Amino acid sequence: MKFAPLLLLATVALLIALPWLVSGSMLNAAVQMLIAALFAMAFGLLCGQAGMLSFGHAAYFGVGAFAAVHAMNAFGGAGLLPTPLLPLVGGATGLISGLVAGYFSTKRTGVYFAMITLALAELLHALASHLKAVFGGEAGVSSFRMPAWGIGFGSLTDVYFLTLVWTLLCIGLLYLFSKTPLGRITLGLRENAHRLRFLGYNTHALGTLIFAISAMFAGIAGALQSMNIEAANYVVLESHISTAVVLNSFIGGVRVFLGPAIGGAVMTFFGYVTSDLTRVWLLYQGIIFVLVMMFLPRGLVGELVERLRHRSGQGVARSLGATLLRLLCLAVAAAGAVFLIEFLQRFLSSEYRAGVSEGNWPAISLFSYDWAPLSVLPWAVGLGLFGLGIALVVTVNRRVADRQEAQA
Amino acid sequence: MSDPILSLQHVHKSFGPAHIIRDANLDVLPGERHAVIGPNGAGKSTLFHLCSGQFAPSKGHILLNGREIGGLKPAEVNRRGLARSFQITNIFPGVSVFENLRLAVMRKHNLQFVFWRSAARLRQVNEEVDDLLGKIRLTDRAQTLASQLSYSEQRSLEIGMTLASDPQVILLDEPMAGMSHEETDYTAGLIREITEGRTLLIVEHDMSVVFSLAHRISVLVYGEIIATGTPEDIRGNARVKEAYLGEEAA
Repeated sequence: MKFAPLLLLATVALLIALPWLVSGSMLNAAVQMLIAALFAMAFGLLCGQAGMLSFGHAAYFGVGAFAAVHAMNAFGGAGLLPTPLLPLVGGATGLISGLVAGYFSTKRTGVYFAMITLALAELLHALASHLKAVFGGEAGVSSFRMPAWGIGFGSLTDVYFLTLVWTLLCIGLLYLFSKTPLGRITLGLRENAHRLRFLGYNTHALGTLIFAISAMFAGIAGALQSMNIEAANYVVLESHISTAVVLNSFIGGVRVFLGPAIGGAVMTFFGYVTSDLTRVWLLYQGIIFVLVMMFLPRGLVGELVERLRHRSGQGVARSLGATLLRLLCLAVAAAGAVFLIEFLQRFLSSEYRAGVSEGNWPAISLFSYDWAPLSVLPWAVGLGLFGLGIALVVTVNRRVADRQEAQA
Repeated sequence: MSDPILSLQHVHKSFGPAHIIRDANLDVLPGERHAVIGPNGAGKSTLFHLCSGQFAPSKGHILLNGREIGGLKPAEVNRRGLARSFQITNIFPGVSVFENLRLAVMRKHNLQFVFWRSAARLRQVNEEVDDLLGKIRLTDRAQTLASQLSYSEQRSLEIGMTLASDPQVILLDEPMAGMSHEETDYTAGLIREITEGRTLLIVEHDMSVVFSLAHRISVLVYGEIIATGTPEDIRGNARVKEAYLGEEAA
């Protein structure tokens, strides 16, 4: 794959040019996407490469976030380190807390490991609301970014570049890590820890160390987050943050190197776009996760890599055509599903029901058209589009299968 | 006669009320190929687990080069120079054959917590891996995922990984289990080659393999070594016949 470095270079160039290409709110979303990407990469090291599914990674993200805020406030607001180096504080705190938590949790594997990480994160979350001095209670802890190295860090563009540099640096380091002896042993830990022990490795120490490294990068991501919003609140320790990073990483593909990053970025972007458009955007996020797990269990990037690896020499254009056709049909089905979900959401909302008086069902406005809920039309449109899309996909699949059979 | 390299002295192992190993005594001499045979349930695998650190003995001593290894952790036993293979194939299925062997070789070079060097540039390690690949005749399968190897290839890989730490003593637990005749012959040849200059302790059910491969044989029955000797001695031993071979002949 000669074009991989080129693609990478183009992506980095695009990321550098982004502040001049997109609006302020989109740039803000881009900062969030970068942070989510880095956080997911930290999780991916532990889950995808070392095979340890953590359900409590919010803890290390949050610890990094709070550490960075306190470091910014240190010395009467002068800061412990110059602003560009503050993520190091988050990383160091993440590393240390990861060593402690990793020591205990990696004593067990599988479900038990996951449960310990979950318990530790919940413990921290429960403690945080009581430790006002450290976590600031309901209000949280706020701070200000100080100018450093001739950079103001007041503008969003400055913050964007700070986040971009750190994210790229960390992802680069994670890539290099995967090429080192320890990085290779990480895979062995996932594949067969028992065998590693009989080869003479100390698997508990290895697991603890990899857990700590993962927590360190999560801490850096947390620090970037609190530096971005100039505050930290114990909400960052909540379990939905832990869940989101699991879902994002699996949607992207937890076993391929950039999978978690792409998953984190894509889903954050998805949330940014849809949370303004619809109230049930979390439902859509859940549906996407279920669909990806059912039909693309390797994740979006994982599946792409697999396809590229096993592409047949002659049929590239054809299979690309079939894929596009499938996507088109799926878009029809998705339109139907979205229509139904949105219509139902409005129909079932308490506002609507409050407006219903005896025998009088007001029309529901959706997609700049008023639909009468008791008529067949809106239901027919939704179900029809959905059914049509699915039927088309099935037809395309059958055609492709027939053609392959004819070739073989 | 030289001192034994591996010595079991009055070893007992019980799991609750079940006494699996009762007073086992065994001396394995440097450089010999030593087979342990015995009926099903005699405790052969348990004996291996005791020697390799999977279990700690309830009583008695296990000495490697005169030093106690009974009760040490598997990783520590491996570092002292004893490596084992497993009855059920125990490899790293999701990574390449090359990677499997490299994981095994890196430990020997004490590359465990190293994150500042590139694994691809470890010349000594990679050369040793290539060398091992040649020895177990898997050179052209180096980049294949271990899970995609055939059964006997996986068994070869298993033996290769056991060999990687350059151990003095190798324990092979039923390396021919589930193999066809051709595969068994092939693997027997392989074992002969790779154990040159090392000490081998092997558990195997295939009697033709055992009698042609082993210098000496020990017979384990109900957790006790009832006889040790050359293949001829064992063939002629009345107690063994009664307890084990006779049972099969009948």
